[in-house]
Amino acid sequence: MARKMLIDGEVSQPNEEEAHYDFDLFVIGAGSGGVRASRFSATYGAKVGICELPFHPISSEVIGGVGGTCVIRGCVPKKILVYGASFRGEIEDARNYGWEVSEKIDFNWKKLLHKKTEEIVRLNGIYKRLLNNAGVKLYEGEGKIVGPNEVEVTQLDGTKLSYTAKHILISTGSRATRPAIPGQELSITSDEALSLEELPKRAVILGGGYIAVEFASIWNGMGVTVDLFFRKELPLRGFDDEMRAVVARNLESRGINLHPRANLSELIKTEDGIKVITDHGEELIADVVLFATGRSPNTKRLNLEAVGVEVDQTGAVKVDEYSRTNIPSIWAVGDVTNRMNLTPVALMEGTCFAKTVFGGQPCKPDHKDVACAVFSIPPLSAVGLSEEQAIEEAHGDVLVFTSTFNPMKNTISGRQEKTIMKLVVDADTDKVLGASMCGPDAPEIIQGIAVAVKCGATKAQFDSTVGIHPSAAEEFVTMRSVTRRVSAGSKPKTNL
Amino acid sequence: MLYALGSSQFSWVLSLSLRKKERKKHKHKYKSVMVVVMASSLTVTNTLSSPKLKTLYKKLSIPIPTPLSSRLLYNPKTLSSLSLSLNLKHRSFAARADSQNGAEPPSHYDFDLFTIGAGSGGVRASRFAANFGASVAVCELPFSPISSETTGGVGGTCVLRGCVPKKLMVYASHYSHEFEESRGFGWKYDVEPKHDWSTLMANKNAELQRLTGIYKNVLKNAGVTLIEGRGKIVDPHTIDVDGKLYSARHILISVGGRPFIPEIPGSEYVIDSDAALDLPSKPEKIAIVGGGYIALEFAGIFNGLTTEVHVFIRQKKVLRGFDEEIRDFVAEQISLRGIEFHTEESPQAIIKSSDGSLSLKTNKGTAEGFSHVMFATGRRPNTKNLGLETVGVKMTKNGAIEVDEYSRTSVPSIWAVGDVTDRVNLTPVALMEGGALAKTLFQNEPTKPDYRAIPSAVFSQPPIGQVGLTEEQAIREYGDVDIFMANFRPLKATLSGLPDRVLMKLVVCAKTNKVLGLHMCGEDSPEIVQGFAVAVKAGLTKADFDATVGIHPTAGEEFVTMRTPTRKIRQTAEGKTDSEVKATAGV
Repeated sequence: MARKMLIDGEVSQPNEEEAHYDFDLFVIGAGSGGVRASRFSATYGAKVGICELPFHPISSEVIGGVGGTCVIRGCVPKKILVYGASFRGEIEDARNYGWEVSEKIDFNWKKLLHKKTEEIVRLNGIYKRLLNNAGVKLYEGEGKIVGPNEVEVTQLDGTKLSYTAKHILISTGSRATRPAIPGQELSITSDEALSLEELPKRAVILGGGYIAVEFASIWNGMGVTVDLFFRKELPLRGFDDEMRAVVARNLESRGINLHPRANLSELIKTEDGIKVITDHGEELIADVVLFATGRSPNTKRLNLEAVGVEVDQTGAVKVDEYSRTNIPSIWAVGDVTNRMNLTPVALMEGTCFAKTVFGGQPCKPDHKDVACAVFSIPPLSAVGLSEEQAIEEAHGDVLVFTSTFNPMKNTISGRQEKTIMKLVVDADTDKVLGASMCGPDAPEIIQGIAVAVKCGATKAQFDSTVGIHPSAAEEFVTMRSVTRRVSAGSKPKTNL
Repeated sequence: MLYALGSSQFSWVLSLSLRKKERKKHKHKYKSVMVVVMASSLTVTNTLSSPKLKTLYKKLSIPIPTPLSSRLLYNPKTLSSLSLSLNLKHRSFAARADSQNGAEPPSHYDFDLFTIGAGSGGVRASRFAANFGASVAVCELPFSPISSETTGGVGGTCVLRGCVPKKLMVYASHYSHEFEESRGFGWKYDVEPKHDWSTLMANKNAELQRLTGIYKNVLKNAGVTLIEGRGKIVDPHTIDVDGKLYSARHILISVGGRPFIPEIPGSEYVIDSDAALDLPSKPEKIAIVGGGYIALEFAGIFNGLTTEVHVFIRQKKVLRGFDEEIRDFVAEQISLRGIEFHTEESPQAIIKSSDGSLSLKTNKGTAEGFSHVMFATGRRPNTKNLGLETVGVKMTKNGAIEVDEYSRTSVPSIWAVGDVTDRVNLTPVALMEGGALAKTLFQNEPTKPDYRAIPSAVFSQPPIGQVGLTEEQAIREYGDVDIFMANFRPLKATLSGLPDRVLMKLVVCAKTNKVLGLHMCGEDSPEIVQGFAVAVKAGLTKADFDATVGIHPTAGEEFVTMRTPTRKIRQTAEGKTDSEVKATAGV
């Protein structure tokens, strides 16, 4: 209630008070969430300033760049490399379609790296222009919070600027972390992996999350020998177990060496490369060891203690449903809040923030049924609940519809790789609770399905939709027979 | 006539509803029937072959309480015993069904349903009818890649001469684009990739043989009797297949359509899409006449396989009936890939010169030096020599069979589905019509196929996907509409350096906020549009689209991140259309 009053109060307040501040809003961090919040706030008439660290592909305490993780060190460069890596499979597949391709095909990593850097520099420029066009004032330097309404920006030359702002938004994102094992300094994170000078011949990857799996696919496609170590039985914890199994099988059949239930205990520098010792006592030599073992929020140098902004034990800024911290004038969106670390979610949070604070429409970001994708080769995508989650949360029976099939392209290419699709349906309401898919184009296919799932579409509505033939996606609207029915009582426990 | 049709339909619905009560007593039987439905569909697409996945199932110990379990997959024994019990049951049901209908003597007919033509619609209707307990026979002409009065093949146009071979050829031809793209991503070929036509044809034909075999098995597993030969209707309950007579309570005509080539001088030198899918060697230079989806798809196929392609269209634009902006966009993108369009040119004659090359004479002049001339100038229903005139089945002037909303012809015991009815000529629509018919006839559920918001695709390069109304249709029907558009260079093209672009468009009703139509041209359009088709069919609003979070980075996410209308179209008081143009918000 108090919160609501505060928001309403701001909306209806006359302008005189705002004259006290240099800015209506000062944003620390110009990534997806920060840029979106700044632009939209400016569009609503707010006077906005934003600060960001200088640009470089590899981030550090003092390096960042307008565009943030997504544009410079995440989604975009990653997808570019996935495109690059996918061509190997395509070229292989082309042969049975009658294409005579020479046995020796060169892949020039440096060329791709160069073009990737060109592209992210271009996007960095576009983001800067977006801010400029929206009337947002951009400062290059490190932002710190000095008071509930005051920020300090340390510029490149060391000079410090100090500004007051009615609202402060923290959107500094997160950074890859490394487990503290002996020799960890020999390893790299995803930042460096996206910008390696030389393509390794042998890569070891530690981690079972989407970043680990994506890099395994990228390097494998580029001809690198890849060994992937993860602690669980299957990679991609949190996704549907059946999908995880298919991803694991596909990675393996494409030539990636999987080491489930394994961890790394030590890295040692040798003349031949990095000697990797596993917790099973196994040893192997690699040119590159990638730690994809998690990311942590960038909150250490923000001086949050000074004003008492609460963070959780992982260092993430604690916020309420409107993205407001415990300090009423300070807000936070995106990965720094560690809610759901995805670009489109940060965009949604940024948009809702601007609407709430400057648009006169209090607006909570809705984190339900957010679709996501793993750009492994082939990719995985999902929206809503996995089968396990649905069973866990269900009150009644859960119907599971699956379709596992050989994609048409493979009938001639001869590639042994099945596509799998799944719909999880509430037996009582007929609502589709979740959809997931692993196979070519899965992320593109799931996006439209996500609209239907988000809006509570029923299985009957899926069935009444006519298929597009021949496509893979049509399977989602032609699953007539239930594969299994899981009754409310039985809740299988898994610990994969 | 109309009255007679109506009343017979009434009594027929009545008899169905009577049977429904009877059926309820036998519910358990239908359960086992359903198992076979699933199992047979699984043989086509669903095979969980991986031992790893099987062990995963065991590990997960997923409870599988109903008989519709995936365990069936691993237990062929269960399957065969079930289908055996099915055979026993449908026999008893057929007898029972007959005795229900007082008008007809029991066991009078050889079959409950006799289907002429085993294409998409016929196979679907037959299988489902059999699974619902009917005794079913289907007849089909012998297999050949090229159709005629005497050749066809189980699977029909879609599998043998349409969707499937076409898509396989699209895959094959698209590689040349991928080789080009790959260069921008650092790949280099010592020798330029070359295409070997015969490898493709051999592998394609092997796949078609496999599929026709699968379709035969699907019919067999469903307990449908397959008869090879040409079916002809003798009377409302009798079919003649090459001299042998069969009687049936219901007859289904699902004989499809065939390419139509207008009679002009030299038309004997022309190939149609049947032949184009099975050429002995690669055409060096081809003229394709026609501006419809078949013409554009083949233009892309041949162009990708390095043939020089010229497309001759009678009108100014390709793809009549599609959204105007999509029509312009796709033509431009296709041209950029090296295909030459000749607009407003009607073919008048084909001339074969002494060196064997072909010339195409049009109203504008003569184009020379073609190795092949292909006509993609429409398709006609296969209704000749079916005996339709003798039994009084009404047809349109195009030769399409006239049917009511339940796919019933003017003769009450004769029904028709698919292209032969020339409603919406798409495989999934024939499947829908066939499925609905089986329900109507043998499951006591009179079912009308629903033609609203049928999505469709053109597998041109780049392809098109669409669902719902075009902008022009929406303005006609609703007056006030908002248009949201994104026309962008995809991430892949910024790296490859190719001029590929993507156009995406939403047509929204200004009054209700409903998304009336959705159109896309660009890579993966058909796959992207399918999911959105569920949303459009369900009548979702633009606000529902906006509430959906994007999947980043995809092309699909553009459909849920279109914030500002590109233009708002409002009917003015005088009934004129006013268009207010606004700039988009940018990235």
